[in-house]
Parts: sequence; structure tokens; C-alpha cells
Amino acid sequence: MSVVSPPLSRGVLLRVFLRSLFLQASWNPQGMQNLGLAYAIYPALERLYPDKQALEEAVRRHLVFFNTHPYVAAAIVGGVLYHEQRIARGEEPPDRVVAFKAALMGPLAALGDGFFWLSLKPATGAVCAALVPILAAWAAVLFLVLYNLVHLTLRARLYLLGLTLGDRLVEAVARANLPTRGAKLRAVAAACAGGLAAWLAVTFGANAGGRFAPLLSAGCLALGVVSYLLVARRVPNYVVLYLAAGLACVAGAFL
Amino acid sequence: MGWTQVALAGVWGGLVAVERKAFLQAMFSRPLVAATAMGLLLNDVPSGLFIGMLLELFHLGTANLGAALPDNDTLSATGTSAAAATMAAATGAGSTPALWSIAILLFIGLARVGLVVDRVLERYSSRLARKAMASAEAGQLTRAMQQNLWGMWPHFVLFGAITAACALVGFFLGPLLERLPLPALRGLAWAYPAMASVAASIAARGSHARRAPLFAGLGAGIVTLAVLLVLLRGCL
Repeated sequence: MSVVSPPLSRGVLLRVFLRSLFLQASWNPQGMQNLGLAYAIYPALERLYPDKQALEEAVRRHLVFFNTHPYVAAAIVGGVLYHEQRIARGEEPPDRVVAFKAALMGPLAALGDGFFWLSLKPATGAVCAALVPILAAWAAVLFLVLYNLVHLTLRARLYLLGLTLGDRLVEAVARANLPTRGAKLRAVAAACAGGLAAWLAVTFGANAGGRFAPLLSAGCLALGVVSYLLVARRVPNYVVLYLAAGLACVAGAFL
Repeated sequence: MGWTQVALAGVWGGLVAVERKAFLQAMFSRPLVAATAMGLLLNDVPSGLFIGMLLELFHLGTANLGAALPDNDTLSATGTSAAAATMAAATGAGSTPALWSIAILLFIGLARVGLVVDRVLERYSSRLARKAMASAEAGQLTRAMQQNLWGMWPHFVLFGAITAACALVGFFLGPLLERLPLPALRGLAWAYPAMASVAASIAARGSHARRAPLFAGLGAGIVTLAVLLVLLRGCL
């Protein structure tokens, strides 16, 4: 092991961050993100371990199973660099970094899935879909801006936290209080979806109905409520959608 | 027939397929964004936008959690919007709700096709991982690391090809659409808002909120009241 390894330059740190965006490029059921993680940190390992034997050992310890949320993985990538620098300086044994990854990937995956996949994404999607009648195509642009403002800021911040705090990043992530914020976002998503369903029903009645307008609007709203109940009873989404389309086709053809 | 449109559809379909899982994940692959951009590329923004909105709501609750694979919402969005745009181009009558309904009813199932393709691609990635391990054992570290990037091209090629095929099919379906009787076309036009309303309900359910019915009901109540107030003020 090389004791006189040079420190990681800003260029290398930036390269690792950019390469971490390819974390899932070869996601596979056996090692999951193992190859992606090794690929991301490779420039740093090359710098830390000038000796080829040590470099091979370092790469091999990151080719074991690894899986977490792809955004929150930035914190682990930063933390891995923190530990690898210490290992290269001889300040801690190599198994510390393996234990660090194993301890954090599960909890951080749960945190990331809950906040990003099950809260931020549905909330941004529902808000922007609800704004389509007002903003038209700009709703798609707004979606990207709103989502990525949070996504990219958190991703970069988590990387820096991992890099500077190592194991202590857990306390910093806990302070962000993501589960509570996620619950609020999920409520926003549900309210927006309900609002959009009502708007669609009312405007449909107004556009297609004439003297039938109130009846058609009420029918469309009722269809929404019935669909919700059917989906809640585990009727497949596709079946509900085709049923609604069939009913509307028949009504449109004969009314 | 516009081969340029078919090619554009293929390239965009391939790019967002890569973005969906392999690189960045900045949500260019979400139905609202991917379908709207497809509409923009194929010169039919309304088709892309309204199909994207409906599919965004329909797939709102899907998530890639752990090793579980969800339906491929991106392929469903790019394929459906590409087909709708080329159908509209083939008819020459512009995009209509009836046309969006036909495209959705015919192509929404692509989400399941995409899921099957995703499973096949996972097997390919497993081969790459084994190759990377072997290269690392042999001391060929650069070669081992390069395997990661090889995982992306099949996403681009396969999903791009499927999206291009959808655009091509749209050109052939367009003329058939014109032969439908008027009542059927009116029925299909009504099917769009009905499906959108259903998709919004599915979205409320898929929001994962603890009291989703309450929040959705509140949202629906406020909007209905607001629209009614506006209509009443117009009458007075």
C-alpha cells in the first residue's frame, strides 16, 4: 500500500461526480450497481494508488454487490472517497470502506426511494400535469426545472457531505428530514390529481354537452370516483382505462 | 411518408430510454416531458402534450424500487406520441382528441413490452458484469471499467427501434382512421377526457399519500367550485 499517495484534486473529484451519473449504466441483478460504482471512483483510485497491485485490490473491493438509490448514492460515492483517502494514507484498514458501504446502502436506498421516487416525482408530475391547461408545453419545461432544482442540488450536496464527513454524513442526512417533506409532497400530488380530474370532467361537459353538459360533467366525475374505487380494489389500471374508454365511445356514438 | 420523422422518433426514443435508467435520470424520460418533446420534434405539439399528460397521470405511481421492474412508462409515452403525430401527418387534418384516443388505446400496452425488453437487457448487463470481473482479475482494469458504458447502447438501439416502428405504423394507420364512421369518431373523441379523468384518479391513488381520497376530494371540490363560480359570473 502506498503511504505517500497524492491528495485528490478538484478535477478528479469533479470527474468522479460526473462519472457517478453513469452509476446504473450496467445495472445487473447479481451485483446491481457494483460496476457503476467502480467505474465512478476509478479516476480517484488511480490517483490514490500509483502501485498497480494496490490499485487492483482497491478496484476489486468495489466490484462486490452494491445497490442504493441512484441520487443518494452520491453520498456513498463521496464517503467512499473519504475512506479510500484514509486507507491510502494508512490511517484505517481496507475493510472500513466495505463496512461503510454495506451499512449505508440499505437505509439510504429506503430514504431516496421514499423521497425521490414516491414523493418528489409524483408531486412534480401531478402539479405540472395539472398546469397543462394553463401553461401548455411549458408545463413540461416547468417539470424539468422544478424536479432538477431539488434533484441536482441534493445530489451535489450529498456528494460533498460524504466527501467531507465520511460516516458522520448520516446525521447530516437525518437533519434534512426527508420523510416528513415527502409526506407533504404526496398530499400535494393527490390534491393536484383530484383537481385535474374535476377540471377535465367539467370542461368535457362544457365542450361536448350542449343541454347534456351538466349530465356529462357529472358522469365524467363519477367515472373518476368509480375508477379510484376499482383501482383501490386491485382491478388492473389498464382494465379500468379500457372500460372507461369503451363506455365513453358507446355514449359518444349514441347520445 | 416522412422517413426523417421516423428517424427523429427513433433517436429521441433511444436517448430518453438511456436517460431513464442508465444515465443521469433527470426525468427527461417522464411521459409528460418525453411525449411533449416528441410532439415538438414531429411538428405536432398538441398530440405529444395531451398524450404525455394522460400517460404521466396513468404512470404516476410507478417506481423502480430495488430490483423490481415497473412498466416502461417512457416507451409507452414515446411510442404513443410518435404514432399519434405521424397519424395526424398522414391524415393531414391535424391532431384531434379522437386520434389521441386511438393512439393511446393501441400503444399504451408498449409499457409492458418495455418491461420485457428491460428484463432481457438485464441479462446482457449481467454478462458485462461477469466480463468486467474477469478483466479485473486479469489485471486489465481499464477494460473492466469500460464494460459499464457498454451497458447503454442496447437501450438506445432497442427502444429507439421500437419507437421508430411506432412512428412508421402511425403513417399506415392514419388513412384507416379517416374511414371510421362519424359516430365512432365522436365516441373516440369522448373517450379522451374519460380516459384522462380515469388516469387522474389512478394518479391520486398512485400518489402514495396517506389520506389520498381526502386530498384528491379536496382538490376536486375546490376546482369544481372555482369553475362553477367563473361560469356563474359569466351568466350574470
